[in-house]
Amino acid sequence: MQESGQGAALQDLDLRQAAIDSCFVELDEEYDILLREVCIRAAKSRISSNDTDDRRIIQAVQALDDIDRNSNELSERLLEWYGAYFPELELTGEPLARFVSTFGSRANVPESHPIFVKASMSMGSELSFADEELLRTFALNLCSLYDTRRHIESYIVKAMGSLAPNLSDIAGALLGARLISMAGSLQKLASFPSSTVQVIGAHRALFKHLRGNTPPPKHGIIFNNVVIKNAPWWQRGKLARSFASKISLAARTDFYTGKRDPSIRENMDKKLNAIRTANPSPPKRESKPTGKPGSRGKSRNKKGGRR
Amino acid sequence: MPVEELSDGIFRINVDDREMLATKNLMSGISVYGERLIVEEDVEYRQWDPNRSKLGAMVLKNFEIPLHYDSAVLYLGAASGTTVSHVSDILRDGLVYAVEFSPRTMRDLLQLCDQRPNIIPILADANKPQSYAHIVEKVDVIFQDVAQPNQAEIAAINSKYFLEQHGHLMLSIKSRSIDTVASPKRIFKEEVQKLETGFDVEFEVLQRKELDPFHEDHLGLVARMFVDDEE
Repeated sequence: MQESGQGAALQDLDLRQAAIDSCFVELDEEYDILLREVCIRAAKSRISSNDTDDRRIIQAVQALDDIDRNSNELSERLLEWYGAYFPELELTGEPLARFVSTFGSRANVPESHPIFVKASMSMGSELSFADEELLRTFALNLCSLYDTRRHIESYIVKAMGSLAPNLSDIAGALLGARLISMAGSLQKLASFPSSTVQVIGAHRALFKHLRGNTPPPKHGIIFNNVVIKNAPWWQRGKLARSFASKISLAARTDFYTGKRDPSIRENMDKKLNAIRTANPSPPKRESKPTGKPGSRGKSRNKKGGRR
Repeated sequence: MPVEELSDGIFRINVDDREMLATKNLMSGISVYGERLIVEEDVEYRQWDPNRSKLGAMVLKNFEIPLHYDSAVLYLGAASGTTVSHVSDILRDGLVYAVEFSPRTMRDLLQLCDQRPNIIPILADANKPQSYAHIVEKVDVIFQDVAQPNQAEIAAINSKYFLEQHGHLMLSIKSRSIDTVASPKRIFKEEVQKLETGFDVEFEVLQRKELDPFHEDHLGLVARMFVDDEE
């Protein structure tokens, strides 16, 4: 009786009176204690059931971004630090971290290694034992960050494959996961209009456009897919629009049916190719784009009404 | 005189020549969110930061606080329980129903509920009082601190369901969550007007004051539900 809580029929029910009448509890105090325990338990179980697949994916995506930020910072530090001892080493990022963690001082580079000549002729200063140990540990930690990143990435690919196979297929697992993360959940992403999907991640440009006279953003985070990134500039807006619509379609298929549907991908490829062949060369600019809506002469930008 | 009781359970303490707001700690030795614990004449108090709590700011703004040792309070927008913990301190023999919508902040609130016997947590939307009407009984005071555009409406429907006749409503209105650009003064005026005449329950506003410098663009308000005797 205590748990069957949500119906509007319960609205007028005096639970305390009912509990006492039915001898479920004897005293008012007993009811108070029971009510508190039930409420705490109910809230706890609702919180733990709230941890769904898309929540986990969102956490993973955000962890990925955190690791990227931190590993960049640390690897820059390593470059600066180790550079004093071996400035000729032209490695950055992960290769640098791997190199430092394996060899430490450049004196340890074996003759067979391609970098040996540079290492023995280096103008860098000598590395003391204590410094070498420190740098090695530092680099080792950085390496493990890179490993974790790969681990998370493959986790996302796997999780997206089962949660949102169509979305992964159309947008790629990582971009799909990012879209879910920015929307808040797969359900929200599925309920967005595709024009919103098109500009997710371009909030600043979008609001600047809505407030003033800048052109609207053509693409938000979906820019990161090769479909748009590798396209010539005059096709990007058109491609982004139809790409976003297919992403919406895929997200909806995933959320409401959960089945993989290869026809979405086929239709998308057809559509994108049609756009590419229809716009083979850059349009001639009639007037200098001033950024004012209306003066751009493209009525298409205004279609679809206000959002 | 280092300790002065401003209102039931709310104290002003003089420590090292600085005055601070505090409540008597219900669970001695436990600091809830990292606040300072002060022992004065064998009684432990918890410092109450008005910059983190609308209710604390309202105390310092000389509001008459309608909370008593044995009040029952419905707290809407409990968040992670910073203010709720002080309300729980004040209501030594009372009860507070803490309603919060976000599962993430509810997680923190639950840890508090585990420690304290007089808080009942409710994970629900304050817009839908039907969803917790079976749990909450009539209360003496509704305190509401939700950052929603329809704050006045939420206050009104919850009062209709749960507030005792002549019970008090304490409201913190955040102008920014109603309209980010409009002038706060105008929004406050409109909201107060809505409360007074806009719904089927009416309120008599007893006190209203802006909560700066503790909280920018917030209005604190204490009202009493006005009961129509004609029916």
